[in-house]
Amino acid sequence: MSDRARRRRDQDRDSVTELDPETQHSDVAEETEDQANQPGRFAGTLLMFRDVWRLIRGEDQRARKVKWMLGLVGPYRRQVVAMFVVLILATAAALAPPYLAGLAIDEGINKQDPQMLTAVVIAFLISAGLYWAATYAQTYLVGWVGQRALQDLRQRIYTHLQSMSIGFFTRRKPGVLISRMTNDVQALDSLVTDGVVTLFSSTLTLAGVVAILLLLDVPLALVTFLTFPLLAVASVGFRIASAGAYRATREKIANITAYLQETLSGVRVVRSFAQEGRHIERMTELNEENREANMRTVYLNAAYFPAVELLSAIGTAVILLYGGYQVLDGNIQIGVMIAFVGYLNQFFDPIQQISQLYTTYQQGMAALDKIFDLLDTAPDMIDKPGALDPGEIRGDLRLEDVSFSYSGSEPWALKQIDLTVPAGQTVALVGETGAGKSTLAKLVARFYDPQRGRLLVDGHDLRDLEARALRRQLGIVPQEGFLFSGSIRENIAFGRPSADPEEIRAAARVVGADTFIDRLPGGLDTEVGERGTQLSAGQRQLVAFARALMAEPRILILDEATSNVDVRTERTIERGLERLLAGRTAIVIAHRLSTIRRAGRIVVLEHGEIVESGTHDELIEAGGRYADLYGDWASQQAA
Amino acid sequence: MAWVTTFWRLLGFLRPYRRTVIYSLVFAWGAMVMTVAIPWLVGQTVDAIDPQDGVTDRDAVLPLVLAITGAGILRLGLTVVRRLIAGRVSVAVEFDLRERIYQHLQALELGFFDTQQTGQLMSRATVDLQGIRFFLGYGLIFLTQNALTLTLAAVVMFAIQPLLAALALLPVPFVVASAMRFNRLSRPALQEVQQRIAELTAEAEESISGIRIVKAFAREEHMLERFRLAVSRVFDQNVFSTRLRAFYSPLLGFLPSLGLAVVLLVGGNQVINGRITLGDFTVFYTYMLMLIGPMRMLGMALGMAQRAVASGNRMFEILDREPRVASPEGAPELPPGAGSIRFRDVSLRYDGGAPSLEEIDLEVPAGRTVALVGPTGSGKTSLVALIARLYDPSEGQVMVDGADIRSVRVDSLRHQIAFVADESFLFSTTVAENIAYAKPEATPEEIELAARRAQAHDFISALPDGYETLIGERGLTLSGGQRQRVAIARALVADPRILILDDATSSVDATTEAEIKRGLRAAMAGRTTFVVAHRLSTISLADEIVVLDQGRIVDTGSHSELLERCPLYSEIAEHGLADKVFLQHDLEEREEVARL
Repeated sequence: MSDRARRRRDQDRDSVTELDPETQHSDVAEETEDQANQPGRFAGTLLMFRDVWRLIRGEDQRARKVKWMLGLVGPYRRQVVAMFVVLILATAAALAPPYLAGLAIDEGINKQDPQMLTAVVIAFLISAGLYWAATYAQTYLVGWVGQRALQDLRQRIYTHLQSMSIGFFTRRKPGVLISRMTNDVQALDSLVTDGVVTLFSSTLTLAGVVAILLLLDVPLALVTFLTFPLLAVASVGFRIASAGAYRATREKIANITAYLQETLSGVRVVRSFAQEGRHIERMTELNEENREANMRTVYLNAAYFPAVELLSAIGTAVILLYGGYQVLDGNIQIGVMIAFVGYLNQFFDPIQQISQLYTTYQQGMAALDKIFDLLDTAPDMIDKPGALDPGEIRGDLRLEDVSFSYSGSEPWALKQIDLTVPAGQTVALVGETGAGKSTLAKLVARFYDPQRGRLLVDGHDLRDLEARALRRQLGIVPQEGFLFSGSIRENIAFGRPSADPEEIRAAARVVGADTFIDRLPGGLDTEVGERGTQLSAGQRQLVAFARALMAEPRILILDEATSNVDVRTERTIERGLERLLAGRTAIVIAHRLSTIRRAGRIVVLEHGEIVESGTHDELIEAGGRYADLYGDWASQQAA
Repeated sequence: MAWVTTFWRLLGFLRPYRRTVIYSLVFAWGAMVMTVAIPWLVGQTVDAIDPQDGVTDRDAVLPLVLAITGAGILRLGLTVVRRLIAGRVSVAVEFDLRERIYQHLQALELGFFDTQQTGQLMSRATVDLQGIRFFLGYGLIFLTQNALTLTLAAVVMFAIQPLLAALALLPVPFVVASAMRFNRLSRPALQEVQQRIAELTAEAEESISGIRIVKAFAREEHMLERFRLAVSRVFDQNVFSTRLRAFYSPLLGFLPSLGLAVVLLVGGNQVINGRITLGDFTVFYTYMLMLIGPMRMLGMALGMAQRAVASGNRMFEILDREPRVASPEGAPELPPGAGSIRFRDVSLRYDGGAPSLEEIDLEVPAGRTVALVGPTGSGKTSLVALIARLYDPSEGQVMVDGADIRSVRVDSLRHQIAFVADESFLFSTTVAENIAYAKPEATPEEIELAARRAQAHDFISALPDGYETLIGERGLTLSGGQRQRVAIARALVADPRILILDDATSSVDATTEAEIKRGLRAAMAGRTTFVVAHRLSTISLADEIVVLDQGRIVDTGSHSELLERCPLYSEIAEHGLADKVFLQHDLEEREEVARL
């Protein structure tokens, strides 16, 4: 539940992270969990250089990771090569105009040569056209390759996750795992598409401008470069300061969104207690915090962007002053000076862009570390070499001296369990909270292996069997009837993909789900919604029965639902359950007295041990624990 | 036209900041004059040093360069002030808008929320608000600022050489139009990317939460296929939006180059022919370079305006929706009393649909406990919602302590009623604050007493921070039974005349339920209580049982009377209520089991 809420919040946050039009500032939301162990920001900048150096030397773990990342684009190396070719072309085309303009002045205009002028203008137009075409190709290729690689990465993470055992999923929070495939891949996206391209094209542009200016006139170039360090320092400083400020605004807006979400979901409670006033007050507080956070970015932007404009004006002035005297003294031509003015702005952009890379780089690397952390976790329950395919099983189940604990040591969740279930028998597990009912069921499904003892199916140790071959003959009905989004038909067929429409219909009929399905406007093709939430609890339960029936399992593990359903649905469920259990070995975590009474055997668990076992009548007769529980319940009903 | 109205209404949000907005426009324009002046000064400098026309003026260089620097500094000052002022307005408008919409949402009645999806409302209050705020805060200034820049530059250019100016400025409308179009197309494309990423996330979430089912049925490949589909949908949309950007972004760079080419060719020839000076030529050239930004920004700002109007329409839809359940002007408080309730011929229809309640006549003397029993959809929950005026009946009248509840102040009525709902909703704050929800000034002793009565004190004391433990999204997750007990404590702190328990003990085990029942008995003493019940044990709390079916009262009486004469009741009693839950299924076990 909290993971869902969190995911929703993340999405909301994404959808409100728009480009700030005044700064064009946008960076992907980062997770707060990284920020605790971030070094100081200035130290961080140094670390980035250290990282890059180590990368080059191949010393770091990250070198391995980056190499591996490059491997991701391996299948698309032709596109990558093409990408770099057009990138160089685009950069060159972008650099040509000021030079050509200078040429037009000096060689065309000042030499009174219209033909030369026309020629230069044609070259100018060609370079402009080339710029358009090459930039188009470059943007497209970068996007395509980057997205392809990330698509592959997402699937790789997903496949890896699927190979993990159930124990792994119990230990990790679902929200974190999902985040690996979404937020973290997204952060890598910025690194791969924006980061790499910005790094190359900006560096190339910068180098190009420097080279051209030096070729045109060395002293004037050196004078022009004076603005360079000022701009670089201001930009890096601004990025570092604003990264924190923007993070704060994102956090504040996320708080607002979360609060809004909560008070809208709880609107019934708010209204019925007439507490609107206090929520309005709290929202005003949050709103106020958001205002303050935003004002910080306003201050920073108000300081930085006008300063850059001033620097540009000063640069122009310096070029005109020094260059102007040079022209007057006949040392350079006037067109050269005008070209300098044109180039001035062209090296302002790349410096500003490179300064943005630091944040992208850091976020991308953090995401990469997290993804690797996951991919480096080896699957822990894989089939033994030479594992056996048991073929069709009868369903004899035996637990021999089975002990199990989730932590691997004391306290034991199950202690020395001995239990034999002949094929076709239904066993109802009964016991108090924490008695070990669901643990026992999980061991039968081989979600975990016991630390001691063994489980046998038709005389084979579960650990010697191919897990998937076994599971195909195993049916599970979870408590709240977990369904996947899609139609009812798809959900029933989940149990047997090869099923034809007739079989699906038949399965629905057998468990009694057909009555409600026929009443739905879409019939079997009705969408059940995410996790089946469009259906009622009782309906979900029935569909889950049909799904389990479809799989024709030899062994069925069933956790009875406890939620309140309609009187009529309740009866349908009872009947459906009866049909589903008929002729199969079944382990039922039972809550209904009717189910328990009908079971071939009742096993009473207490503190991980079997204390009693037998039929309802036998156990009542024996007057033990079960009889006590039954007595409590009966008196409760009478109260 | 409708959009003009919306536009003016949006501008209305700036009214409190009229003067500030005017200042910021003045400063913006001042800065723009400087921006336009700089290239002109550059042109003057070039003329001063250009040897071609025979006259050079060495002495003019330094003053001109100083003038450029001065203009730069002046612009710095103006822009800094402009940004501070405009930023303040933008942030203030955001603040106002959010306050306004949130207060309005809090004023709307519950029925409104039944017809709206929370996601849609969220999007109004976040995405749409953002669009309006960006336009009012920045877009408007960009619009005037860039339009002014273009106009000023055009004036200077036309003054120098009209023909060249006309030719050079030819691409301007195309750039503006393309920028607008790009803005209009890329926004929905990017939103669709977000949408598909959300779908992908949902898919990943579902298959991770359902991993036990996937593994149990050995359907890993099938799920991978589903995931692959979601991933490739993200890919396709991303590539689509990349292509948009790949086309338009360089186009917006290319079109102005045509203007530059015109300046070079035509302007160059004019210099050769002596019709303009090289300095004039430089002015043109520099202006064309300088105008690239304003042209794009103008298009972008126009796009923002379009979006803001669309967002404004959606937001005004909510803001214009009048609250339907409100206290009449100058309404008195609920008169004192012990909580007697009377339904007089009450019918309820939600938004014109089939009636949920029909011709309900029911009188409950103060202090009585009434159990409501009936199949799903029989109107039990609707009936209790009417008492707190969460909805108004379509016909008939509900009276509490002799007063028609529509004639008294809503909050005074609701302060006398406490709900414990089926799915207990708690806020993500501390346990203590949740319990004291209806009475923020409650003392720790009062809170603890309520918790003890609701049988919640023991488990709360065992929480890491006791009553100060954070729960909910950012804190501890409580089990269903624990949440329910906190909700009961919350209702007890309110000390209401009327207590409404909606199947409130459905998720606790038998032992705990017996304890809660004891607590409830004490809490119910002296209050009128409604119990929406699904279990015999809960019904046993009641003095009287009301059986509902399809919105009507079918029978009223005691358990034994009804068993005898009401077939629906006996069916429910035998199959729906008794044989439900045999043994306890609480706390961790329940959570654990739920994951199986």
